[in-house]
Amino acid sequence: MAKLRLEITKGEEIRYISHLDYASAIERAIIRAKLPAAYSEGFNPHMKLSFASALAVGVTSQAEYMDIEFKKEVNLGEGVRRIAAALPPGIMVKSAKYMPASVPALMAIVNLATYDVIVPFRVGEFVSVEESIRRFNETQEVLYTRETPKGRKEIEVKQYIARPIIAIQQDSLVKLAIDIKITQTGSIKPGEILELLVDMFELAVDRDRALINRTGLYVANDKTRVNPIEL
Amino acid sequence: MITLDPAILNRVIKPARYTGNEWNSVKKDHSTVAVTVALALPDVYEVGMSNLGLKILYQILNNRTDTAAERVYAPWVDMEAEMRTHNIPLYTLESLKPVAEFDIVGFSLQYEMSYSNVLNMLDLAGIPLLAAERDENEPLIVGGGPCTFNAEPAADFFDCFILGEGEEIIEDMVEVVSAWKQANKADGRLGLLKKLAQIEGMYVPSLYDVTYNADGTVAQVVPNCAEASFVVTKRVVKDLNTVEYATRPVLPYLDIVHDRIMLELFRGCTRGCRFCQAGVLYRPVRERTPETLLKIANELVDSTGYSEISLTSLSSADYSCLPDVVQSLVDELKDQGVSISLPSLRIDSFSIELAQKLQQVRKSGLTFAPEAGTQRLRDVINKGVTEKNLEDAVSAAFAAGWSTVKLYFMMGLPTETDEDVLGIAKLAYRVLEIYKQVTGRRGAKVTISVACFVPKPHTPFQWFGQDMAAEFERKQRLLKAELRDRNISFNWHDARTSFLEGAFARGDRRLGQVLLTAWQNGARFDGWSEHFKYNVWIEAFKAAEIDPHFYATRERTIDEVMPWDHLSSGATKVFLAREYLNAIGEVLTSDCRRDQCSACGVCPELDVKVIDWGNKA
Repeated sequence: MAKLRLEITKGEEIRYISHLDYASAIERAIIRAKLPAAYSEGFNPHMKLSFASALAVGVTSQAEYMDIEFKKEVNLGEGVRRIAAALPPGIMVKSAKYMPASVPALMAIVNLATYDVIVPFRVGEFVSVEESIRRFNETQEVLYTRETPKGRKEIEVKQYIARPIIAIQQDSLVKLAIDIKITQTGSIKPGEILELLVDMFELAVDRDRALINRTGLYVANDKTRVNPIEL
Repeated sequence: MITLDPAILNRVIKPARYTGNEWNSVKKDHSTVAVTVALALPDVYEVGMSNLGLKILYQILNNRTDTAAERVYAPWVDMEAEMRTHNIPLYTLESLKPVAEFDIVGFSLQYEMSYSNVLNMLDLAGIPLLAAERDENEPLIVGGGPCTFNAEPAADFFDCFILGEGEEIIEDMVEVVSAWKQANKADGRLGLLKKLAQIEGMYVPSLYDVTYNADGTVAQVVPNCAEASFVVTKRVVKDLNTVEYATRPVLPYLDIVHDRIMLELFRGCTRGCRFCQAGVLYRPVRERTPETLLKIANELVDSTGYSEISLTSLSSADYSCLPDVVQSLVDELKDQGVSISLPSLRIDSFSIELAQKLQQVRKSGLTFAPEAGTQRLRDVINKGVTEKNLEDAVSAAFAAGWSTVKLYFMMGLPTETDEDVLGIAKLAYRVLEIYKQVTGRRGAKVTISVACFVPKPHTPFQWFGQDMAAEFERKQRLLKAELRDRNISFNWHDARTSFLEGAFARGDRRLGQVLLTAWQNGARFDGWSEHFKYNVWIEAFKAAEIDPHFYATRERTIDEVMPWDHLSSGATKVFLAREYLNAIGEVLTSDCRRDQCSACGVCPELDVKVIDWGNKA
């Protein structure tokens, strides 16, 4: 057994596919690449692939991480070349490294995600972008109601905000840099933060036109943030 | 090129239906090709992407350096609303170019109830709906697929129809269009249509005049120019080993209806079920060789990365070398995690053994199609299956560990009585009983699915008057009252959808007006129960002063001129009539594949032969 960790992207070409579709696109690429992927035992064997964190429909990423188990080790350069050639447009391999078999699962260690949200600014609004963001950053507790087909749930948002949101205005666009903690008990999506910024803090942007991009996933503590492939 | 606002894509469900960039999709610079073709299927992406025929044509056309073929499907209702609000024309998934800019738009017509979507797609594309209103600068609108053997109700909207298999004729068509363009579109659109009409298998409806008798039946359909032949006969590929197959299909990101490799073992089925249109249209049986199949299967795994191969054909278990092919596929591909599946099973223990060998997922259960509830009625439809066959098959399945069985039937077949309908319930109970006998336990799950029979053109039942919707509903209630066991679940089809399907299946050109009015009043996605608007259709019939019963429920006389008599599948009307009489007389006809020839006329008419490797030994 050999565990290969990859740093890959989800580009503009495939912005609107779901996490499940993204995972199966990669699985099919690995089959096309003729790499010796390991499968689970059982009646319905599945390829041993695992991701750090799911990405929503409509969100791109410049740093996704996944582990793939091989039945035997393939030369790293050769393996990466083969998989890169088989990946569809929008998925690029940025980095790859074999990990010790005992390495903890990505899902268990990644605890921080950073995002850029680029969204058109609405002119003539009473409250400035700076003001809305400042108010959000200074509020101690923000309650958001998440509605899913399973029901409604109230969430305290600030516990997941790793550092104050930074807003930069460029021409007609606003760029928000949002760092979100991923915890064992949950997290919040950047789209949800944008929604509550508009609804509760009068952020003057055209929310529907937001383009969200994940800029990084990290294993972070009070002092450092390391990406999972540098571990 | 269309640019799509993220706001729209963020609002619609499954936005990946509209953004393309799939693996194996082919993008060409249109300035480098002579002809551009938009391949369309008038249903949503997941359905359209599952169509094997279009995958094959996509590959054949894109193999040509002078042609670019792209895909387009019907936008779902939410996306349609966005497109109309924001003036986004219908576009293809490769170049995101408006469909109206293509030379050819080819629609695959699989089902009569998709006609309203054709009109809707043309309208979204900004292309005039009526062929007569299009000039030489508009795309050529072509239809293909089983419906073209009587697409008379949609004839006003199409420039031409391809009858039969498309592998070869599609290239003939592209060459004619290319030459016409190079000749500065000589003689305009009519000039092109007359050239196309000379291709074997190409039907240009505007080159034919239809006259009617006083009683409303068709008097005759005759060509109105020298270029059109009196009868258009389908195209057929003589040897499937020598034509291109879809070995590099476009791989969808989202889950589609058939999200796996489709390996077509053979084309045609001559079991001769008398209700079955495909059985007539795709004659004769032509098998691929095991070597060809293995080669194709390997290429497909390499090009797609799919881990499931479905052995598709009209009746896959009839493939002469099936056990050998299955064994070779399993041996060669199991290391790559690839599994093999059969989409439908023949009702015998051979099929069960095979299913067992393939280790199909047990939870999905097994599906059989006895089609009718009594032996008498199964003989009428020439379904060569006995009660004993079914008992053996389910016994073998239960012994092998399955406990879920799905049984497909039809109601409204010719000569059907209430006893035949109730026979469906008897069979269901018999299956539960067999489970108890085999396993000593209760707890089998039986699903009974009963469709409303729609008589189709080019079948022995093309003369038969379909049951009235009220009669279907009475029979459904009758059966429902009998099926009270909680281990039996009962599904049935909407009788009113089947009634309209019946009217359009055997309709003539006068229905074009009904189609147009219904579409104008909001009909679309009629095959989807949540969007089917029965009243819109009935109002459209009223407005056109046309009675749908004339087409659906009227029994025809044997000598009546059918609206499709000038369109030939190769099977003669005499053969079909003989089969209808055999049906009424409960006389069986054998399968010409390995038994006696039933003189349907296809082989001599089309100069083709049955190819069955089991016969060559």
